Amino acid sequence: MELKQQESPLSLSDLKKNESGQVVCSLAQGSLKQKLISMGFVPGIQIRMVRNAPLRDPIEISIQNSLVTLRRTEARLIVVEKL
Amino acid sequence: MIRIALAGQPNCGKSTIFNMLAGVNQHVANYPGVTVDKKSAALTYAGKAFELVDLPGTYSFSTFSLEERVAKNFILDEQPDVIVNVVDASNLRRHLYLTFQLLELGRPLVLVLNMMDVAERRGLDVDCDKLAALFNVRVVKAIGAKRQGKEEILRAVHDAAQTKVVEPFRVDYDKLEPYISQIEEKLSAPDHLSSRWLALKVLEGDDVILDRVGIHREAVRDVSREIHSRHDIDVDQMIAGLRYTAADLAYHKCVKERRLQGETITSKIDRLILNQWLAFPVLGLVIFLVYQLAIVQGYKLTDYTWPLLATLRNQFFAILPRAEFIDVPLLTEFGIWMANSVLALLNYIPVFFILFALIAILEDVGYMPRMAFILDRVFRKFGLHGQSTLPLVLGGAFVGGCAVPGIMATKGIADERARLATILTVPYMNCLAKVPFYTLLLGAFFKEQMALMMFFISTVTLFIALILARLLTSTVLRSRETAPFVMELPTYHMPTLSGVLLRAFQRLWIYIKKVVTIVVAVAVVLFVLLQYPGVPAERMADYRSQADTALADFAAVAEKTSYAPVLVDSHQVFRLLNLYDDYRAARMLAASADAVAALDETYQGRDPELFAIVSAADTEARRINRALRNLSNVGKRLQLNIKNDKITNSYLGTLGRTLEPVSRYAGFDWRINVAFLSSFAARESAVATLGSIYEQGATDASAEEVMARDGAYTPVHAAAMILFMILTPPCIATMVVVKLQSGSYKWMLFAIFFPISLGIVLSALFFSAAVQFGWSGVDLMRNFYIGVAALALLLGFIKNKQSGWYVGKTH
Repeated sequence: MELKQQESPLSLSDLKKNESGQVVCSLAQGSLKQKLISMGFVPGIQIRMVRNAPLRDPIEISIQNSLVTLRRTEARLIVVEKL
Repeated sequence: MIRIALAGQPNCGKSTIFNMLAGVNQHVANYPGVTVDKKSAALTYAGKAFELVDLPGTYSFSTFSLEERVAKNFILDEQPDVIVNVVDASNLRRHLYLTFQLLELGRPLVLVLNMMDVAERRGLDVDCDKLAALFNVRVVKAIGAKRQGKEEILRAVHDAAQTKVVEPFRVDYDKLEPYISQIEEKLSAPDHLSSRWLALKVLEGDDVILDRVGIHREAVRDVSREIHSRHDIDVDQMIAGLRYTAADLAYHKCVKERRLQGETITSKIDRLILNQWLAFPVLGLVIFLVYQLAIVQGYKLTDYTWPLLATLRNQFFAILPRAEFIDVPLLTEFGIWMANSVLALLNYIPVFFILFALIAILEDVGYMPRMAFILDRVFRKFGLHGQSTLPLVLGGAFVGGCAVPGIMATKGIADERARLATILTVPYMNCLAKVPFYTLLLGAFFKEQMALMMFFISTVTLFIALILARLLTSTVLRSRETAPFVMELPTYHMPTLSGVLLRAFQRLWIYIKKVVTIVVAVAVVLFVLLQYPGVPAERMADYRSQADTALADFAAVAEKTSYAPVLVDSHQVFRLLNLYDDYRAARMLAASADAVAALDETYQGRDPELFAIVSAADTEARRINRALRNLSNVGKRLQLNIKNDKITNSYLGTLGRTLEPVSRYAGFDWRINVAFLSSFAARESAVATLGSIYEQGATDASAEEVMARDGAYTPVHAAAMILFMILTPPCIATMVVVKLQSGSYKWMLFAIFFPISLGIVLSALFFSAAVQFGWSGVDLMRNFYIGVAALALLLGFIKNKQSGWYVGKTH
């Protein structure tokens, strides 16, 4: 997992508007990890960056047919690869 | 009795299903020890009694959020007979994630496919029979918003309660299966719960379950480490991933997509509402509309409801014993005080009702989380949450609001620390009932600069709230639980009229029940403190002799007329006096000649003999009438003096004088102190008390003019008073709601004493500075404003170490 990180340091927060990606892994711990899991952020799941908030933070993500918003600090912990 | 738990993910329409099943016959309480709403209802079906409990909406059954803990503990401890799982049929794949966890419990389950109409619109064909066969449960289609499916759900629950689940549905956990069965074997005599479910929870490292089954954390840690080294993934992520895969499989087996999903309505609306350029204008418009409809229009509506309340109050006053010249019975004074205190709050019912209804609409539509999305970045800087917007607006971010609905609207804030910070800062917003007080002082001292001062008053509050939120979250609230900002933006829905009205009435009822009872209690205490120990004996003797002289003068006039026999008894004189006062008051209101005629007739009927004098029917009556006017004026003057003396001499007056050495620094004398103290039940009484202290005898001048002419106070005093009023908590009602929403008396006391101390310190500071540097009242206010605004902006720029989400550790 460490290796993968170095190869593709792309995080959810780096995706541009309308770019799609796939979750590689999540570096979150504790309640954030559980929250992300229960919202569907598990390895292999496809996501699409929908838009930034008007002040650029938080961001809106389309995942499994629903729309989820999270702050950039949280999004940075989700490693993705672009599709 | 069959006990049913209603479970489902947020936004599955669970509350519409609950409302459909329960009707108006619901009971709202809290789950023990926490401030999570517990709605329950008792119903009967096919001769059986059902008890329905609505669990908090959760995505999963981990232990990290309060709602999840509450929901899990309920299922573990209360062991409901049937679980009704509501899912959004138009988004089945996602909602099955929770369904699997419920199925694994091994209890009888009914799956309710809600929002079938939305699924239909999106071209989804859900095969219920296949789903039922696959999961081995009863599946029911429903549209909660259209009240379709009630009968079917109840029948399915009724049937499910008769059955026992022999073989619950199993998700294929693939490579984890060996570990699961290994743990299952180790479990010591599992109780009523499925051992497989327990084993999975153990594997996930669920603390609650680990304690229940008595397995050491170390043992589990070894297993999860082993799994991690073999599969390069955390075990909880692996379990979740497998559940999502299983959901995917089930979805493809049971749902046919008739056509490719185009852009949904929600996405179209969002392109406008969350648009980079339009988001703020739209948000501003929504807030403006809520404010206009509830606060402004609602306040106007009180012009119509107030006469109704006033009529009720006057009917109540009519049954109270009447005054006998200067002797007002204690019961009467008490009744008047209590009725006015309660009515001051009941008067706001139209405002609250509209507010509660509008909030319910915003919640149902799905705009609330979007509001948080737009504004989170601003509020986060001050330790608040995007969802703090609405509470602050309702509390009075503009000219005037009410902290009660504001604090009640904090319920949805996911982050505990931000929620408490919001609860504690909403009371600093502009309370509507403080406005008359400001108007009184501004009218007396700042006639020229009224608009500027009002601008300062109404906008400084938001800065104060932000500063305090920042201070609180980085000090006393520092260690409070925070939640990550990860929120679903739900699909837009049309709210239903019945749902909105039901919720508005429920919240209104809670307000009336909780708030009014406490206000009554506090009002009683204040009444005692203002009444006792009463007027000193020698003063009272003096008043009495003045009264006797006036009565003797009147008797001397009356004796010489033919009405003398009617007026021999002094009680008759008192009756005459009351009749005279009542008639004069009513006559002032009668606008037309017809109204006067009708009034005369009523009073004629009430007491024809005495009314002859009141209406000055003949020359002799006219003579008595003149004497009567004098007597009435003397009586009024004496009553006022007695009332004044009573307040001066009262415990509250003594307290006001005791505080004077401290409050003097802020320019407050004891009279101001009493006014502030007595207004704690309802802010309206500040004006009333101040007015009654200032109404000196029978002058016709308003309290405003008397204050301005009195000379004891300068505009600087007034500005210091305004400053103090800005910071003091609105009223006891607000404090009750702080207690309700924070779940602790400690926070309530903090919410009372901290602002008061802050208020006295700041007003003393600015008052002394004003005296020192020769500031005018407007200078004082402007300097305060600049200071506060600058501090708020500064804090906004300093990076808040607390605001972000920090990676915690589970092990």
